Amino acid sequence: MKSYLLAWRNLWRNKRRTLITVASVFFAVFFALLMRSLQLGSYAHMFQNVIESYTGYIQVQNQDFRDNSTVDNSFDFTPDIRKLLLSDPNVTNLVPRFESFALASTGPLTKGVLVMGIDPEKEALLSDVRHRLVRYRLTPEAIDSIKQMDIPGNVKSKLDLFRGESYASPSILQLDLGIKDRDAGKIMPGIERVTRISNGYLTAGKKEALLGDDLARYLNLNIGDTLVMIGQGYHGTTAAAKFRIVGIVKLPTPDIDNKIVYLPIGVCQEFYNAPGMLTSMALTVKNKSDKAINRTLKSLGKQLPSPLRLLGWREMNELLINQMDADNKSGAIMIGILYLVIAFGIFGTVLMMTTERRREFGVLTAIGMQKSKLAAIVSFEMVYIGLLGILSGIAAALPVIIIGQYHPIRFSGEYAKVYESYGMEPVMPFMNVNNYFLWQSVIVAVIVLIAIAYPVRKIYKMKLVNSLKA
Amino acid sequence: MMKKFYFILFSLLFPAAPAYICAQQLTAKEIVKKADEKFNGEKSSETVMAMTIVRPTWQRTVEFKSWTLTRDYNLTLITFPAKDAGQSFLKRGNEMWNWNPAISRLIKLPPSMMSQGWMGSDYTNDDIMKESSVVNDYTHEITGSAIVEDRECWVIKMLAKPDAAVVWGHQVRWIDKKDFLLLKAEYYDEDGTLMRTETGSDIKSMDGRMIPTKLVLKPMDEPGNSTVVVIKNIKFNIPMQQSFFSQQNMKRIH
Repeated sequence: MKSYLLAWRNLWRNKRRTLITVASVFFAVFFALLMRSLQLGSYAHMFQNVIESYTGYIQVQNQDFRDNSTVDNSFDFTPDIRKLLLSDPNVTNLVPRFESFALASTGPLTKGVLVMGIDPEKEALLSDVRHRLVRYRLTPEAIDSIKQMDIPGNVKSKLDLFRGESYASPSILQLDLGIKDRDAGKIMPGIERVTRISNGYLTAGKKEALLGDDLARYLNLNIGDTLVMIGQGYHGTTAAAKFRIVGIVKLPTPDIDNKIVYLPIGVCQEFYNAPGMLTSMALTVKNKSDKAINRTLKSLGKQLPSPLRLLGWREMNELLINQMDADNKSGAIMIGILYLVIAFGIFGTVLMMTTERRREFGVLTAIGMQKSKLAAIVSFEMVYIGLLGILSGIAAALPVIIIGQYHPIRFSGEYAKVYESYGMEPVMPFMNVNNYFLWQSVIVAVIVLIAIAYPVRKIYKMKLVNSLKA
Repeated sequence: MMKKFYFILFSLLFPAAPAYICAQQLTAKEIVKKADEKFNGEKSSETVMAMTIVRPTWQRTVEFKSWTLTRDYNLTLITFPAKDAGQSFLKRGNEMWNWNPAISRLIKLPPSMMSQGWMGSDYTNDDIMKESSVVNDYTHEITGSAIVEDRECWVIKMLAKPDAAVVWGHQVRWIDKKDFLLLKAEYYDEDGTLMRTETGSDIKSMDGRMIPTKLVLKPMDEPGNSTVVVIKNIKFNIPMQQSFFSQQNMKRIH
């Protein structure tokens, strides 16, 4: 009989032992995959957050703007440059920006703010400010009337925790209040009705502004109020003007939410005395893969006239990438520890198995089986166990990861607040199936192969008399 | 005998010579004081100026009108370009305000803003305020003579007094011996590094006085940058009331 067949039959002679060993490999693969997927997923999510909602994949800037981000380092956006940028097949659209700083003030309160001139329509391709408009707010009056409603006690206690909080979507509101999905249909419409606030959007050419929610709260401003801003304009001129607040936005990054002011781009250029100038032009791309973006960077970079330069998303987010790298290292250490624990787990079961079968090995050798054949059979057994464990691990992890991708783990309550205070959106998505799957499997397989060495060595060094007595 | 007579006759015919001899008796402090008054007026002045900010890649001109009463009061009104016109700056004693009609706001400039450029120029708010006195906050010493703009000048080294609230460690001023014109000044920091130079030229008669009408300021740490101020018109010792320098007037004046 072929040794691989014998090995297969051997496996099912003692099902329980086999299953214990398979389980140890299974958990190794399952947890390593989930951990890695979560980690890579949250990096990708963070990049996507920043890139797709802020910087874009490629930007055109004046070459001095990055080191010295003043309005004096803006550039004149001519029709020729526009034509050149759109000539690249991967570039789908252009999103103009004019960014600078100013002091915003109301009454005695003043705060340094980030002023962002945007094209109200085209910006939807990137940061989609319109969808960030606050639609619901837990005002003290709203909280009072919600408390009159027929709602569960735990929701009532959460109301005070989130007093004054603003929401752009009803789902986050529901989550913060801890309302279960089955109750949502009954409770949410009423809550939405009392918390709803009307909110407008920018119109090109009008002296209007959108404010971050935190900033509006700090300055004690609301829709319809006047925002006064003063700053330094192009070539040292004074930039000072009044704007009507038409809307409040809630941005996922608290660090931006507490200082952002959006203006229509034309109005912003006029405010800074820089008509026709831009600080950056973000390009939206068809193909977001690194290869396609590098090709676009290369071909456009050669053709752009001298004061202008192209920046890829890696260059624009250097700090973030460095932070991720550092975090990735600590993640690698964690996963290393996990592997160590797993390796000893697998080794432990193998050790147990070898000791248990000492007598069996002895008898087989005594009736004339070659030690090499015996070692081969045991090795096959281990390979099968490894394969079973790895495949079942992948099979179990796959649905979790796929579901987690579409329904990321979202923290609520106090946890969410902690996350937000660190400037992160409180979600933890999984990473799509990728080559990290292969790597986790390979590493576990290597651990199993190393573990084979022990029984093989034991078989070759076996003293027949002793093992028969065992 | 005759020699002595000729000398007296010569002196009478050329009054500048005895003036020169008299001036020799002046102390360095008096020279600096006279030069300062020459430019700012003993009591008050009204000036129309154009300031050009020169940068390596661009330049820009701002025009303004300025009223001064003693060292304590100053009001400056921007008249050009249109976007900035109507902005005014008021100085009363140690305090400075800015009125901006575009936002109808009166802003008090905090001490932290004193070292920042005024209207984007190389002049700081402190230069405009002239909070420190070139006469009282420095010790003065004549260190020699030199020719600047074809005029013979005293070279005066001014060392900041230890307890004075001044920006500079020391200054060197070149003051014309005849008309007490400040023709050149060098400003050094506490370490003795040259930080900026200021030169006066285009000497013209304005309201009966000879004054340099073009001032060029060059910061040493930023090559290619300079600020050129041209005095278009100046009147000295005109009647002025303290009440003119008020927050109400800042908003009213055009």
